[in-house]
Amino acid sequence: MKQINKTLKLLRRSPYQALAAALAMSLTFFISSLFIVLIIGGQIVLNFIEQRPQVIAFFKDDVNQEKINKIIDEVKTNSQVKEVKYVSKEEALAIYRERNKDDPLLLESVTADFLPASIDISVYKVGDIGTVTGLVKDRAEVDKVITPENLVSELTKWTKTIRVGGIILVSTLLAISFLIIVMVIGMRIAIRREEISIMNLVGATRWFISRPFFIEGALYGVIGATIAIFFVYSILLFYSPKIQQFLGPIRIFPISPLFFIYLWVSEVVVAVTIGVLGAIIALYRYLKI
Amino acid sequence: MIQFEGVTKKYSDDLALDDVSFKIDAGQFVFIVGPSGAGKSTLLKLITRETLPTSGRILFNGEDITRLPANKIPVLRRRIGTIFQDFKLLLTRTVFENVAVPLEVLSYKDQEIQKEVSAVLQKVGLEGKGNNFPVQLAGGESQRTAIARAIISKPEVLLADEPTGDLDPKNASAIVELIEKINKEEKTTVIMATHNAHIVNTFKKRVITLSQGKIANDEKEGRYEAN
Repeated sequence: MKQINKTLKLLRRSPYQALAAALAMSLTFFISSLFIVLIIGGQIVLNFIEQRPQVIAFFKDDVNQEKINKIIDEVKTNSQVKEVKYVSKEEALAIYRERNKDDPLLLESVTADFLPASIDISVYKVGDIGTVTGLVKDRAEVDKVITPENLVSELTKWTKTIRVGGIILVSTLLAISFLIIVMVIGMRIAIRREEISIMNLVGATRWFISRPFFIEGALYGVIGATIAIFFVYSILLFYSPKIQQFLGPIRIFPISPLFFIYLWVSEVVVAVTIGVLGAIIALYRYLKI
Repeated sequence: MIQFEGVTKKYSDDLALDDVSFKIDAGQFVFIVGPSGAGKSTLLKLITRETLPTSGRILFNGEDITRLPANKIPVLRRRIGTIFQDFKLLLTRTVFENVAVPLEVLSYKDQEIQKEVSAVLQKVGLEGKGNNFPVQLAGGESQRTAIARAIISKPEVLLADEPTGDLDPKNASAIVELIEKINKEEKTTVIMATHNAHIVNTFKKRVITLSQGKIANDEKEGRYEAN
């Protein structure tokens, strides 16, 4: 604690350099946090879509139950199919009413006859959607088949892009933060050259002289990561109702505070490592005793 | 206590010390005299291991410090107090904080630091000046602060490199009197490099005269006639 207080006292003597280093760290970890949230959010959306019935086949109105059951049995025998669920006209109406319960206009004059019976087919692998669609698409009893295949592949592509882009951007920012810390600590060593030479002369060990710089590097990390998490948490808290409204049934919010605690701890560990590494390089480069 | 055995020190082509040998016993007060460039400061730097000799041995209490591993150098330096002509005080620290530096290095607790610094400030005649910054001090007071810093950790040897160089004659005498008092009371070995003939001739101590890197003279109660 005494060492931290001493280091804070030194930081107050030249606050602008300290501010630059802490802000660089904050920016890096703020953007990193946003990307992490985006990637995890994207994965949740993807999982949600993948878990939904991937193929929905609507039957023509005149198809009788016997024919429908035969089709269901045939589809079930396919090894790529995970589950087949029949939705009758009445069940379709119940779902429709549930979804539109807040809009009486849409409920008026809609009866079961308006809605087709259908089967919801789930597959084990998203890649099998095309094959399974082929099982029902050309049958005379089937009116229309809808699949989210394109949406899934599009989302997968976007998630990958965000991941790669995020890694490149965050790596660049990490490198910039690292260099700023090397520069700031190097300047501090130069400013304290006289003090270091006196300490050296009165018998201070290299570790004793270096310790405040290590603490300084680590402090930049802790401060930077904490500011970043604070802002990300605040922004998400503020915009969560709007984002949730946009996402509809995909539940992302509220994000557990535990997630932010884990994120903060992980970022502090990474940031402190960068701070200390920066200090090591600066000391190696500039501390001549 | 300190023994030089055939010590030569070259800086590139310049010969700072040339085959210098002498022995200083514990508790002695020795002036190292000679004109600028005679090798006085180099000699002191060799004792603190700020530099290494080109050849020869330097024994500190029987241990050859030229062979000291790097991690043992701080331990050697804690046994030596050093004062300089330009005081080398930290301008952003108060007198108290400057004097406390060696104790911080030795990881003393705050209470102990408070006690020790107060005692040493009283010893060097700086009581009541603890909260002053170096810029608020007169030359003599600055050197007293440097002396307080040098002796606070009770070193075995006190090295003084031209400590009176920036002082008027009255303050110069007062500073050497203080160093002599420390030498007598604390039994601290003192090695003082100077070219102040008046000081050397007044205090009548052992005088080692250096000339062009060689020992020109070594007298028990020597004199120095500056040219």
